Amino acid sequence: MKRLGVALAGFLGSVVLATAMPVAAAPPDLTGVWSIVKPEDALKTEDGKLPPLLPEAKAVYEKHQAMAAKGDHSFDTTTRCLPPGLPRLMLIRSPFEILQRTNTIYFVHELNRLPRRAYLNEKLPTDVDPHYLGYSVAHWDADALVIESNGFEDGTLLDAAGLPHSEALQLTERYQLDKDGKHLHARFTIDDSKTFSAPWSFKAEYLKRPGYELHEDVCADKEKPHLLAQ
Amino acid sequence: MLTKTRRRGAFFLAISLAAASTGFAAPTPKTLNNSGDPTLALTPPLRGSLAAPKGSAPPNPDPHNFEGVWWLQGYEYMLGPESGVAPPLKPEYMRVLERRIRAKNRGTPEADASTQCLPHGMPRLMESPYPIEIVQTAGRLTFLHEVAHNVRRIWLNRPHPKNPTPSYLGDSVGHWEGDTLVVDTTGLNDRTFIDDEGSSHSTQLHVIERYRKIEGGAKLELTMTVEDPVTLEHPYSYHRIYHWRPDVRPQEYICEENNRNAPVDGVTVAK
Repeated sequence: MKRLGVALAGFLGSVVLATAMPVAAAPPDLTGVWSIVKPEDALKTEDGKLPPLLPEAKAVYEKHQAMAAKGDHSFDTTTRCLPPGLPRLMLIRSPFEILQRTNTIYFVHELNRLPRRAYLNEKLPTDVDPHYLGYSVAHWDADALVIESNGFEDGTLLDAAGLPHSEALQLTERYQLDKDGKHLHARFTIDDSKTFSAPWSFKAEYLKRPGYELHEDVCADKEKPHLLAQ
Repeated sequence: MLTKTRRRGAFFLAISLAAASTGFAAPTPKTLNNSGDPTLALTPPLRGSLAAPKGSAPPNPDPHNFEGVWWLQGYEYMLGPESGVAPPLKPEYMRVLERRIRAKNRGTPEADASTQCLPHGMPRLMESPYPIEIVQTAGRLTFLHEVAHNVRRIWLNRPHPKNPTPSYLGDSVGHWEGDTLVVDTTGLNDRTFIDDEGSSHSTQLHVIERYRKIEGGAKLELTMTVEDPVTLEHPYSYHRIYHWRPDVRPQEYICEENNRNAPVDGVTVAK
């Protein structure tokens, strides 16, 4: 009994010691300019299938594709300089900059200079106003940055092909810096029970662009073609 | 749906119209250069930001750490050497300013960059009555303006490029002189105005900003110097104060969507 008690105390002691020890090393610094390796216009699931659209949403998607086939992109609000929502903003060719600070991770996109903030050490709000880029909170899972977002306006599209979503969209992004420090691996998970029959995921990869300075891209400036049109 | 207060896209044009129509402003507005000519009445200044509410996080006392949200105290529609006094414009550009003020007072204001959702230009952007979040990373300060998602990058580790492509916000480089951050901006296009009322500048515009934290970091003090050999008789300067506002989070402001909520006296009211 005594031996058991000692053993238990020793076990508990080591648990306490383990929790009191510093939590791993500092997270990797993702600060810098990044651009996608392979832009994605029409999202597929990780195993290459069409996302599991519910019948109504599937009809909307097919309508968008039929319109696009006739050159009619009026369903796409980026044609009126409104922000592409997420994850679409992360799938386009134009680069973005990550500014990593202790309490906030900033994504500043070259495209129309759109900024996005992910707040660390916070929980997702339960009652959030809809925004084009939603509301994002972040945490470090070991050396991976995990961003969870909700509060998306339903006027945006998940991709350029016209994949719809609802205001129930919950997006999870997981960013892992490659050992080479030059590649950023991302996995996106879409959870939107009003649009899809099940959550689904896809991957993307970004390349660091040392020395590249983001340009002043102004969508409303008709004298210069907008980056999305390139 | 949209139930909470939300600072949304607001054209300054609409602000001036609101200021003119709601009557919260002083009863006898100043006139351009104190001319007394009612057709040259200036849009009265707004109150702008107050200090952070009690109980807010204390400011960072490090004079070289500007990180955080700052918000302009007061808001002038004309950015001259003092309130109500025009920039030292050459006569032909003073006539442009008078024309624009008269058009505004007739209720037919002329458009400008911001009314077309183009960036506000300099120095006007720093006079926005919306919060500015400064992010400080190695060799850089980034100004994230709530207004119309304007972004400025202040490079501390490189000179101006030799032949910059003219842009709305120009190329900005900075250095520290003691506790003062000196920001030098050139490479501006001529598609914006110095201010809301319509003081002209050219691509020769050169803007020098000197920022320092005062009152233990509760305020950021700016001395703005404006030079333009094409439109100005001589350079001039003015001062501004920004309040440390850790209680404020910049909101998504999409000018391109259209103007839903115009701020009244520096505070946006949900509609």
